[in-house]
Amino acid sequence: MAHIDGEDPPMPERFIHHLRVERPAASEDVVAARDRLREKFPRVALRRMTHLGMLLGASLDGLALTPADAIVYASNYGETRALEDYLATFPSASPLLFQTSIHPGGVQQVLIGRQQPVGRFWPAAGGARIVEQALISSLLEPAERVVLLGGEERGTWLLEAGMASERAFGFAAALTRDRANAIGRIAFAGGSGGSPADSVVGDAETGAERCPALAEFADALAERRPLRWSGVGGTWELDWCHE
Amino acid sequence: MTAHADTLATGIAACDCLTPFGDGEATVSALLAGRRALEMRPVRGRDGGDPVPLALIGGEMDEEIPPRWLAPVREFAKRIPAECWGSARFPVVITSSNFGVGSLYAFTRDRDPRHLRHGPPFAAVELLRAELGWGPNVHVFSHACVTAHLGLAHAARLLAAGMAEQVLVFSFDFVSPFVAGGFHSLKILNGAMPAPFSARESGSIGLGDGAGFAVLARQKAPARIETHALHNEMFHFTGNQPDGAGFAACAAEVAAAVRGRRVWIKGHGTGTLEAGRLEAETFARVLPGAPLVSWKGSLGHTLGSCGLVELAVTLAALRRPLRTVPGTLGAVEPFFAGNVAAAPFSGSDFDAVVLGSNAFGGAHAAMVLSIE
Repeated sequence: MAHIDGEDPPMPERFIHHLRVERPAASEDVVAARDRLREKFPRVALRRMTHLGMLLGASLDGLALTPADAIVYASNYGETRALEDYLATFPSASPLLFQTSIHPGGVQQVLIGRQQPVGRFWPAAGGARIVEQALISSLLEPAERVVLLGGEERGTWLLEAGMASERAFGFAAALTRDRANAIGRIAFAGGSGGSPADSVVGDAETGAERCPALAEFADALAERRPLRWSGVGGTWELDWCHE
Repeated sequence: MTAHADTLATGIAACDCLTPFGDGEATVSALLAGRRALEMRPVRGRDGGDPVPLALIGGEMDEEIPPRWLAPVREFAKRIPAECWGSARFPVVITSSNFGVGSLYAFTRDRDPRHLRHGPPFAAVELLRAELGWGPNVHVFSHACVTAHLGLAHAARLLAAGMAEQVLVFSFDFVSPFVAGGFHSLKILNGAMPAPFSARESGSIGLGDGAGFAVLARQKAPARIETHALHNEMFHFTGNQPDGAGFAACAAEVAAAVRGRRVWIKGHGTGTLEAGRLEAETFARVLPGAPLVSWKGSLGHTLGSCGLVELAVTLAALRRPLRTVPGTLGAVEPFFAGNVAAAPFSGSDFDAVVLGSNAFGGAHAAMVLSIE
């Protein structure tokens, strides 16, 4: 990975240290996840956790947070199942499902379970360029360490309507400015990418390409695959150190 | 140890809000006249339920097709200064805690699939973007009732990093049976009107529709946001650390930023007891002598948008010749602390304003506003 050797002009960048991606089998539901991941969470907390909460928690496994860490979280659909289940409780609305359905409940389940305060927490909430937004938030954050989280859970009737994720997944990447022992790097070069574009999925005239979807980004992280695309206002790179 | 506050001063080139009273100026006039926008309404709209205090734009909260928020938001957006918003150098930051979630409730009631087109956040944002002609450079945050603060803080970072000439922060939250039913299930939205910072036997909140925008720029302006402080307790979903440590962590950051200056505080002040007490006591301790107000006893809690709606109300009050700041409507003695200002007072006697909001998960946000 040439850039990590420091040969190129400086650009906003962060280096990946801890990385864990949860990509459960398509058949895994919340009950199966509870069984698979039961060792990772306190029993009382586990009972109330959503599939997304468990996947995010498992992604954070082995990573001790501090209040000085910043968290950036990306989810297009958020707490889909809690939202569906909460709506089903009307007219006697469930207070627990109401709380759980509110973005960014997936992360809060985990951190409240850990009793882990954090200073700054940036929950992005959707859109075709959510990956870019989360990466911009990560690069702009002054904290020494930024934990980039992302994930989705499968919906039921919302999925049938095309308003929920087809897949469940979760990822956590600890990003610092320290290139030593990094496993990868995320970088942005301003000015060489797209400019005002008319389409959120890319614009041939102006050069802004389609931004990778959150699930695609998670797959690239899991498979240590490089990504490069022209985004709004500049070019993004995800690349990896080779042993 | 916690994170330090951002001190990235940004000029406010334009800012306004929409409440049931109208724009910022109309809202200040109504607050100074002692009017409440909150009215007792069935918690599930046309589906009935207990009467609870709601402040609604248009008077009803049942979702329609197109969603009921679209027409007032479209009209309100005409106040935004013209610019190529959503382009590379002019990003838009959209903040909300509700987006179109009322449409999901409406779908479960009448099964009309057209409701689903703008239910989830991304779908509501796409509808808004298409309606208002914004480009793709749109950033979206949702962090319950501190969301608008995040949007403003993110905008300041984009400007400081040279990634934008100006940033439009736009926030909207419209009440629906989804959210009213949720707060009612938590028993804090009940049959009583909110009395912020008041030591009563039981607490109560009201919910309100609201939208707001701010155009932030690097250039110096008469009104500037100087500091953003954020803290997340992660102690409990709906409760705070009993010792008030979360409130103190955030308040200490802004107190350090305004040291030596005369300030007043626009607090969160929803009308709940424990959070109200902790907030009033904390500010009384870290900013002694600074009057504390809340306007949610009239406007209701505008949820994810409250930080921006109440910023616009603050600016509208301070733009008036006498700079009269509305007091805490609905507050009844005894108060949790001596800093609670129930009556209007003159903003001319102060150098800066601290604006605070809190949210589920023990999230705290505060910013410092200065006006020449």
